[in-house]
Amino acid sequence: MTNNLPVGAVDVGVTGHFATVLVFVLVGFAFAGLALGVAKLLRPSAPNPNKLTTYECGELPRGSSWVRFNVRFYLIALFFIVFDVEIIFLFPWAVVFKQLYPVPGLGAVVFWEMVIFLSILSLGLAYVWVKGDLDWVKKLIERPGGTDQAAVPADEEVTAP
Amino acid sequence: MEVTMTHYLVLAALLFLTGMTGFIVRRNAIVMLMCVELMLAATNIVFAVFARAHADGGGHVFILMNFAIAAAEAAIGLAILVEIYRRRRTVNVDDLKALME
Amino acid sequence: MELLNINIPDWADLAWWLPEAILCGTFLVALLADLVVRGRRPWLPFAVSVAGLVTAGAYAVAALDPGTRTILGDLVVVDGLAAYFRLLFIFVGLVTVLFAWTAEEIMGRTRENKGEFFALTVLMTAAMCVMAEAKDLLMLYLSMEAVGIVSYVMAGYMRTSLRSTEASLKYVIFGAVSSAIMLYGLSLLYGMTGSMQFDGIRAGLMGGQVDDFGLLVAVILVIAGMSYKIAAVPFHYWAPDVYEGAPTPVSALFSVGPKAAGFALMIRFFYTTLAAGPDAAGSAGLVQQINWPLLIAVMSAVTMTYGNLVALRQLNVKRMLAYSSIAHVGYLLMGFVLLTETGLQAILFYLLVYALMNLGAFLFVVAINNHLRSEHLDDYVGLGFRAPWAGVMMVVFLASLTGVPPFAGFVGKWYLFIAVMDKQWFWLAIIAALNSVVSLYYYFRVVKAMFLTRPAEGANLSPLKLHWLQYVLLAVLAIPTLGLGLFFGQFTGLADRAILMMTTGF
Repeated sequence: MTNNLPVGAVDVGVTGHFATVLVFVLVGFAFAGLALGVAKLLRPSAPNPNKLTTYECGELPRGSSWVRFNVRFYLIALFFIVFDVEIIFLFPWAVVFKQLYPVPGLGAVVFWEMVIFLSILSLGLAYVWVKGDLDWVKKLIERPGGTDQAAVPADEEVTAP
Repeated sequence: MEVTMTHYLVLAALLFLTGMTGFIVRRNAIVMLMCVELMLAATNIVFAVFARAHADGGGHVFILMNFAIAAAEAAIGLAILVEIYRRRRTVNVDDLKALME
Repeated sequence: MELLNINIPDWADLAWWLPEAILCGTFLVALLADLVVRGRRPWLPFAVSVAGLVTAGAYAVAALDPGTRTILGDLVVVDGLAAYFRLLFIFVGLVTVLFAWTAEEIMGRTRENKGEFFALTVLMTAAMCVMAEAKDLLMLYLSMEAVGIVSYVMAGYMRTSLRSTEASLKYVIFGAVSSAIMLYGLSLLYGMTGSMQFDGIRAGLMGGQVDDFGLLVAVILVIAGMSYKIAAVPFHYWAPDVYEGAPTPVSALFSVGPKAAGFALMIRFFYTTLAAGPDAAGSAGLVQQINWPLLIAVMSAVTMTYGNLVALRQLNVKRMLAYSSIAHVGYLLMGFVLLTETGLQAILFYLLVYALMNLGAFLFVVAINNHLRSEHLDDYVGLGFRAPWAGVMMVVFLASLTGVPPFAGFVGKWYLFIAVMDKQWFWLAIIAALNSVVSLYYYFRVVKAMFLTRPAEGANLSPLKLHWLQYVLLAVLAIPTLGLGLFFGQFTGLADRAILMMTTGF
């Protein structure tokens, strides 16, 4: 061990695993490079403006693709993250569940704890649903008592000023 | 070359310092939040390395929890940023001066 | 495959964790209630929150002498310290919820999501209780982040207000970076000792193979993260801005709740890892290795001096209270210098006193803001005659914050002074005494504006009618602020027992 941390533990011998990863990476690059290279050699090359435009499902592309995206995409991404993270917790639980479930006194705890966790998440989903944040086209928020402050629509377009 | 624990720790330290430097240098709030994520990723590496070294599952569990926390923190931070952007048209922290003396 | 080496959680554990479980449940029910009424009848989530807090409080009182028990897979310990703090937090949460009900900043006509505010306060109370109970790095981090994430949202509650959202952004950015710094320190501690448990870390450190420098770096990183929570210099930048920008009931909660929770966490973490236990001789070595007393003493002196000096020039009462709360962290850190039981007991007692008087002062600001829409000192002129009862109670709070006898603040400070003078740290005690004198100036400037300054010609001097609940709550805070200054024996006894239970494990 080349470090002097007093852990007295085994070295992290991962060189072997990384060799495998390296081989994968190299093969991946080689495969893509080979396919593209061979195609380049074999195909005829006759570019014209129509061919060179970006393919957008048959529509003519308008403007640059470097525009700001609507903030609603961000909201959707946010909801996605909630359930993405849920999977992170669900997965390890699922792996050990089969072993733990038969243990007397433990099985119920293991099962119901996940049920509680999932129902809390479902409450979160219900919350955004009822609040209307899952709708793409959203009503303006009805402010109780009118607006004495800067009235901002619920989902104002975020565009460049 | 053999990859040892030290290499991982140095990598984590460099990553942490990169995040820290970015946090101090940049003034765009979104980039600052991204730098914090980098710092959290660095700690995740440290936990993973030590969990392996001590043959202890606790470190791995910590990493999983850390993902969730980092996601929640980023979500809240970005939500606040969207709200600020709507009103100010900027996310530069130097422009936020409503609360200066 | 080998399972994690922990005690398996058990339903029976919940009996020890009833207040927290009730609070978590209350949060969910309040949220659901808000959903059912579509946010149109905020009294429903309000009623649910109050009911939950009262029930949890009743259980917390019943379990004030719980014995020590480790539950939830060794992540959480319920002992005297936890019982003491959870009672404090539930009280703070309840006062905040009740006061918020009468606050224009929360309940004003243009505010949205009123129900969420009450639900979030309950959730924050639960998370703070867990902070005082954590005995594992994982739970420590999770509970701190839970408090943090809830408070980011609460700071930005007035989302149409530029100041509120800006406060929220500052809070989230500094909060995120300081928790990342702390986490890095925790990961190093884990690496050096191979344990997530506080006592396991201690055992690892006592093994004697730990590099001094590595330990110093890790401890400083951890202190950095935690001093953000308690707003100690040099991790205080956020505090004045956040306290000023957030709705005032929220500032009141922030200045007391997370701060006390941060101290609870620091007490358990540093006492257990660095100082505790029967092998006190060895641990003294550990504390000396990183020169802990000097580190904290300097931090304490700088924090109180900075807070007081900057508070001197504040004309916004809310911002002045923010700096004064930084100064109080400096006083509180005095009890932390030597990690002795006397010091920790003094911290516990002072936190109780501080909670009463600081909440009181902030809530007075809320009550006045309802009418005047201002927190500026100039607008406080003549308030003593426009709202005499509330004004007198504000004087009680301010006098107690200064530390004038016979108020509770004096007794609290006295105990802290004893803790450092006991071990011959006279210079720190002298600095603290000088600081108290400085603080007299800015606290009494408010009193002067309210009672002594002659209002300008033609100024509006009509009496202010406060909500009856505000009178009740101010009295609930003011009477013990006075009473604890005279009859403190009972409560110092409570603090002593809480610390003894933690240190001896019974």
